[in-house]
Amino acid sequence: MNVHTPLDGLIDDRPSDKAFHVSRSAFTDPDIFDLEMKHIFEATWSFVGLETQIPRPHDYITTFIGRQPVLLMRDGEGNIGCFLNTCRHRATMVCPFKRGRQKFHVCRYHGWAYDSAGRNISVTDKDDGQYPADFDNADRNLFPVARLESYRGLIFASLSADVPSLSDYLGDARAFIDLVADQSPVGQLEFVPGDITYTFDANWKLQFENGLDYYHFNSTHSSYVDILAQRTKSGDATGFTSERADEVEGQGSFNFSNGHAVNWSIKRQMRYGRALASDPDGLAEVKARVGDTRLKWMLRQRNLTIFPNLQIIDISSAQLRTWRPLSADKTEMTSHCLAPVGESPAARRFRIRAYEDFFNPSGLATSDDNVMYEFCQTGYAAQAGDTLGHLRGLDPGIGLPGDHVSELGISPVDYAFGKPGFGGETNFHSGYREWRRLLQHATGEAADA
Amino acid sequence: MPDQKADGRRFETGHNHAEAEKLLFDEAQHLDDKEWGAWAELYEADAEYWVPSWLDEYELVTDPDTQVSYIYHTSRAQLQERIGRIQSRKSITALPLPRTLHMISNVVLTDIDDRNIDARSCWTTHVFDPRTRRQHLHFGTYRHRLILSDGRYRIARKKIIIMNDCIPTVVDFYSI
Repeated sequence: MNVHTPLDGLIDDRPSDKAFHVSRSAFTDPDIFDLEMKHIFEATWSFVGLETQIPRPHDYITTFIGRQPVLLMRDGEGNIGCFLNTCRHRATMVCPFKRGRQKFHVCRYHGWAYDSAGRNISVTDKDDGQYPADFDNADRNLFPVARLESYRGLIFASLSADVPSLSDYLGDARAFIDLVADQSPVGQLEFVPGDITYTFDANWKLQFENGLDYYHFNSTHSSYVDILAQRTKSGDATGFTSERADEVEGQGSFNFSNGHAVNWSIKRQMRYGRALASDPDGLAEVKARVGDTRLKWMLRQRNLTIFPNLQIIDISSAQLRTWRPLSADKTEMTSHCLAPVGESPAARRFRIRAYEDFFNPSGLATSDDNVMYEFCQTGYAAQAGDTLGHLRGLDPGIGLPGDHVSELGISPVDYAFGKPGFGGETNFHSGYREWRRLLQHATGEAADA
Repeated sequence: MPDQKADGRRFETGHNHAEAEKLLFDEAQHLDDKEWGAWAELYEADAEYWVPSWLDEYELVTDPDTQVSYIYHTSRAQLQERIGRIQSRKSITALPLPRTLHMISNVVLTDIDDRNIDARSCWTTHVFDPRTRRQHLHFGTYRHRLILSDGRYRIARKKIIIMNDCIPTVVDFYSI
């Protein structure tokens, strides 16, 4: 039966006609937002944290999956668990802190207690409670998430069991997580301490798109580009790298299955130094370990999106950011300076300064992005026709020179490559196709019910 | 406590507290009046300008070289870089610029030596964005290190602590 749903016409995706449009209402409609929360954020893999955030037994952090509060913690045996942060008794948030270390979490309302494995270990005055006879058989433990897995120390959780393994879910996007993790001599990533949280009054998909968008850089960030040019003139070339003369300059992207994508650029001369290259000894160690080809890719700007809530930006510094959509027109961002465990103090200092320079609501580039999302959100309210914002790269153009795919040993579902000013937009399509698949999957089930 | 004359001048060190305190108010006024050249001139050439982030609910970061800050600058030139970005009228964060109003109170001055005074104060900045018609309130404490050079006080160090650190969209030197 063909059921009319609110999703009809949201994505106009006709590859044979070289057409791709996203409806304005996908950014503004509160009903669409509710469907996104339920059937995307709360139904597929979400990034929830790094293993290095909770290194010791009983360490924990709290965060959200979609709208739902979760408690991520390591038990006494060192196993990581992720639980809904809600007491079994009266739904109270069990742990109100951002992070910490404790063997037991005691609900402040009536005193029910849980251990770091999520097991209920105490019901206050249970014997006096005149509970029904079968109460002792009731599951009183914290609700675990349906699925919990890690890749290279990045922890993902899903509130739905109906997802592939994390490894299958990430697919070849794993190669681009590896390019970040393998910058560490011990293969581990950590967050540089210091919490950065901000909001913007716009739909989360503006951030999703922007992280894959090179087209905006020279216009949105023109004041930052000027600053970079001034600094280059002043002669500080710490961490600057260059590509070999036989590399074709340009911008490219890979689309992977399940909504993930990455864009990258090959520039003969960088506009800024790189933390990885700022320490010659560290760079030599990485080169000896990973070889010339992978080092080359490590030193290229790469913006990775893991659908639906994670982006890793590896440029002068590295940023890991996640978003928590609050409403159709408000999004909360959490931003971290991402760093390889074991880099030199000098490289770490370079990384932190470069991170602060670019990112954060106080940085010289991200702040412009945040304001631009709000301009877009206001503009999306216009009752006008389709935008033309997802078309760059639909024509094959100059195609893919060289051996980019074979160098990385990956099989992307799609790719694009163009001139340095290319700024392709087909790398958004992968996320939108997964967005549509998840929503249609869910509403199809509802129609059958 | 050292004795204090009516004009604010202390006996032991010769520091003029009224003048030192006025520097804090002058700084606020320069920011609100968008007199950013004059604002930057209040800083020593090698001044430290630090807006730390929070480690958790209770603790601020303490080491800019191993922890993340909102802003960490170690020269007046870096402040001028930020000013130039705004004045270029290329940064979308400044199109249009918000109106700001800084309020400073609870100023406590502590003489360090013949040349240096520390000032601890409380600040609020009301920010009105004419684009969105929204207003925000940022608030926290300042720690200034003032230095007497060539007969006037300048800022050698400033630490800006933001208490409400879930930042709405953007925060920059003029809004804190």
